[in-house]
Amino acid sequence: MLVCTAVWKIFGPAPEKAYAAIAAEAATGKLAYPDHVIAVRDVSFEVRKGETFVVMGLSGSGKSTLVRCLTRLTEPTAGEILIEGQDVRRMNDEALRNLRRHKVSMVFQNFGLLPHWRVLDNVAYGLEVCGVDKRERHARAMQMIELVGLKGWEHKYPRQLSGGMQQRVGLARALAVNPDILLFDEPFSALDPLIRREMQDELLRLQSTLHKTSVFITHDFAEALKIGDRIAIMKDGRFVQVGAPQELVLQPKDDYVRAFVKDAPRAKVLTAGAIMQRSPSGSAPNGRTVAADVHLEALLPMLAESDVPLTVVRDGAPVGIVDRACVIRALIDEQAN
Amino acid sequence: MAAPSPTLTRPIASAGLARAARWLGPIGLLAGVYIACLLFPSLTDTFPAQWNLGMREAVDDFSRWVTSNRLSHPAFAYFFDPLSAALDAFVRAVENALLGAHWAVIIGVTALAGWLLGGWRLALVGALGFFACGLMGLWPQTMQTLALMNVSVFIALLIGIPLGVVCALSNRFDRFLRPILDAMQVMPAFVYLIPVVLFFGVARAPAIVATVIYAIPPAVRLTNLGIREVQPAAVEAARAFGSTRWQILRKVQLPLALPAIMAGVNQTIMMALGIVVIAAMVGAGGLGREVYLALQRLQVGRAFEAGLAIVLIAIILDRLSEGLSRIDLTQYSIRKTQDAGRKAQNVKRNPASYVLRHSSLIGALAIILVTALCVLAFQDAFPDAWRLPLREPVDGLVRWMRDNLFFITRPLSDFITLYLLNPFRDLLRDVIPWPVVIAAVAVVAYLVSGWRLALGCALGMFMLGLLGMWPQSMDTLSQVLVTTAITVLLALPVGILASQSDGVRRALRPVLDFLQTVPTFVFLVPVVMLFNIGRVPGIIASVLYAIPVGIRLVDLGIRQVSPEAVEAATAFGSTRAQTIVKVQLPLAKPAIVLSINQMIMMVLAMVVIAGMVGGAGLGLEAVIGLTRSETGIGISAGLCIVVLAMILDRITQAWAARQS
Ligand SMILES: Nc1ncnc2c1ncn2[C@@H]1O[C@H](COP(=O)(O)OP(=O)(O)O)[C@@H](O)[C@H]1O
Ligand SMILES: [Mg+2]
Repeated sequence: MLVCTAVWKIFGPAPEKAYAAIAAEAATGKLAYPDHVIAVRDVSFEVRKGETFVVMGLSGSGKSTLVRCLTRLTEPTAGEILIEGQDVRRMNDEALRNLRRHKVSMVFQNFGLLPHWRVLDNVAYGLEVCGVDKRERHARAMQMIELVGLKGWEHKYPRQLSGGMQQRVGLARALAVNPDILLFDEPFSALDPLIRREMQDELLRLQSTLHKTSVFITHDFAEALKIGDRIAIMKDGRFVQVGAPQELVLQPKDDYVRAFVKDAPRAKVLTAGAIMQRSPSGSAPNGRTVAADVHLEALLPMLAESDVPLTVVRDGAPVGIVDRACVIRALIDEQAN
Repeated sequence: MAAPSPTLTRPIASAGLARAARWLGPIGLLAGVYIACLLFPSLTDTFPAQWNLGMREAVDDFSRWVTSNRLSHPAFAYFFDPLSAALDAFVRAVENALLGAHWAVIIGVTALAGWLLGGWRLALVGALGFFACGLMGLWPQTMQTLALMNVSVFIALLIGIPLGVVCALSNRFDRFLRPILDAMQVMPAFVYLIPVVLFFGVARAPAIVATVIYAIPPAVRLTNLGIREVQPAAVEAARAFGSTRWQILRKVQLPLALPAIMAGVNQTIMMALGIVVIAAMVGAGGLGREVYLALQRLQVGRAFEAGLAIVLIAIILDRLSEGLSRIDLTQYSIRKTQDAGRKAQNVKRNPASYVLRHSSLIGALAIILVTALCVLAFQDAFPDAWRLPLREPVDGLVRWMRDNLFFITRPLSDFITLYLLNPFRDLLRDVIPWPVVIAAVAVVAYLVSGWRLALGCALGMFMLGLLGMWPQSMDTLSQVLVTTAITVLLALPVGILASQSDGVRRALRPVLDFLQTVPTFVFLVPVVMLFNIGRVPGIIASVLYAIPVGIRLVDLGIRQVSPEAVEAATAFGSTRAQTIVKVQLPLAKPAIVLSINQMIMMVLAMVVIAGMVGGAGLGLEAVIGLTRSETGIGISAGLCIVVLAMILDRITQAWAARQS
């Protein structure tokens, strides 16, 4: 669906030369061009259809630049970007505009709403630039407004809305053109924690029915765990580790990743399948079973009831057992690191 | 206190030595140049006449060529003449429309615009302002000036706003246009008035062209700035949704830049009003011509009336266009929805709320009704019987002052002439050989900046000689420096006082506002009455012109000193005076130096105007050039003024930059 291969972005007066110099130095990492910044460095990843791919990193690590490179809002310096098999970097202006109009939509950290337009017109913006006529685009925009729960606010102006509501408008605007891919650049970072949680739930609710292929940028690891199917940890323009949430939690690649993982709510991330003892031989004595993708959160009360181990089953077949010791070890790991 | 130890004094002494060495070179240079001058007295007593660019002759030749080829050459037949004719027809049409309309309609429309843009106060200002112009018997002249203003501003915006948009979209075009705009603003209007007259003839067309050139820069700059400062987030979002460049401009950038663009409209109008009197010198009629004629005939009352009418127009147009720049689409639309909400909540048939809700409509209807009644009751022309004679009392007052205040004005005038202007002028022009003057300017430039600026300034000064204007330039330089000194000496204490007391500031405000809106020419008339023709009235008018800005900048500079520093000083028990001298003034020094720069530039802008009342030097030459069609002299003098302006500007700018 979306494939990036060796994408680079270098800011500065002569990025091409700087890139060539780096390639020549065989990526020693040192930049011979002092007034250049390598914002994105050799990043490759793939997002499957319907998947939510999260990019997580501290501020300044190049996340915004990366996500803007995908539709060339920022022109990448090198690399290949394929969206549904089409090479984005080879597109002419017309094709690129069509990509942005119909295929890929974006939600911004600071909303990017037009202050002089009503909510309704803001949501219809993407349709308007495509030339959809007024009645049709307003009808579609109204549907989206209802979808994000803003019914009754359509004639207000952005300034009259709270931050959370403004971002709902941003979300509705992105959904209005019915894109195949959604890009989110820290959409909830500017919101208060409570509102942020609410918006995350809202997004999950929408995703459970829409299943849009998404790239989601955040600097909040908890948010990444909650929303992402897979997570990439970014540092200084590079992907340090890419994997499913529990992979990151159980096998952090280096101290940088470990630092993020430390405070992760393990009970919510880890599943029975990830912490079980493999015993291909068979099941636990009493015949109680648990599915492999059940989170510890749900597993703990079961184990609390009795001391007897549970059989972990995947696709109907037993794959291992979990007991209290397994769970305690998995949770203690947290303190050990 | 113990005597300072020798180890401590040594570095200080060597620092002193270093500083002395820094001075020694320049002083040595000056002495060397002076001795060299003594060796070649024939070359250096006066600027050698044979060293001349021949600029004057070339320009005169060209203008003779233009005059003799006006009718035949295609550039005139197919470009300048038709353009000039079109401009003339345009202004005439507007003029006739304004003059033909019933006076009450003009006042009514102004009031209506005021009402819609800013409420009843603005409506009243608009109506009373024009009414007062009528009362002074200046209705036709006011309409003529208004026509000239409308057309010039319209053209300036028609060119300026698109240029501003292009500047905002293209950095390269912006870099290309910026120095041109700078030059357009620094150059005295007179300098380009001369070629404009050459190409467009006299009367309305050159007045329009000159006004447009003068008024375009703010329209371009503010449009450019406004578009560039639109929230990047909104533009990026528009881009992300696949908008074309044009869609972004039309749907996002222009609407959001509207307040800035309207501020540009306001500035353009004010600039255009600033040169109505100058425009009159090339044959534009209206109020400018009234002031100009009155000035030539020393009719103070007449000049005062026409000047007052210009001020009234300035106030009306300023406030109205300021009202335009308050139209913030985002704010406006919010108000609209709130109104709608209130409407929905209101209990129906509540008469009070009905009146409130429709107040803007009712007010507009009332204005239209009154206008209609006036149209029915009075004839088209402003009634002759309604007169508010200001002329006689003003004339009487000035006559009284002239007869009774000469015991002050005479000695003041004599003092300035005999003890400041003459010695300083003689020093620069006659006593010091010209190479030494050039070297001295270069040394100053070197000390505040470096050899680059020194070289540039020396070349500039040399240019003055090459243009054949050395003595006149020195005369002007002496006047400018004396005027600036007087202005600074007055502005500094007043500014400091204003910065320390809100009361003083409030009291000064209307005075400064008045001085800043009055067209410069209007100062001249009473000053000339009191001080007679010569250099002094020009100096006094220049001081009056430059001082408001000086006072404001000094006040502002001191007020911007960080409150923490002031608080700390107070906490350590400084007296008020100590705080000012030890904390506020040193910290405000960059701002104060910058204010001096501004004052010099404003004084320079007055050079030509001072020339009109007998201030000798470059100003006088420029006036001669313009009024007697001595194109060569006029352009040379104008160029010299520009060169002097650039030298003084760069030196004071560099000095200000050194402070921070
Ligand atoms: N337009 C630009 N010009 C120069 N440097 C930039 C530009 N945009 C971003 N950068 C630099 O690129 C790096 C990554 O920035 P960004 O992608 O905004 O990081 P993040 O979104 O992760 O906070 C930063 O060091 C930033 O200073
Ligand atoms: Mg960012």
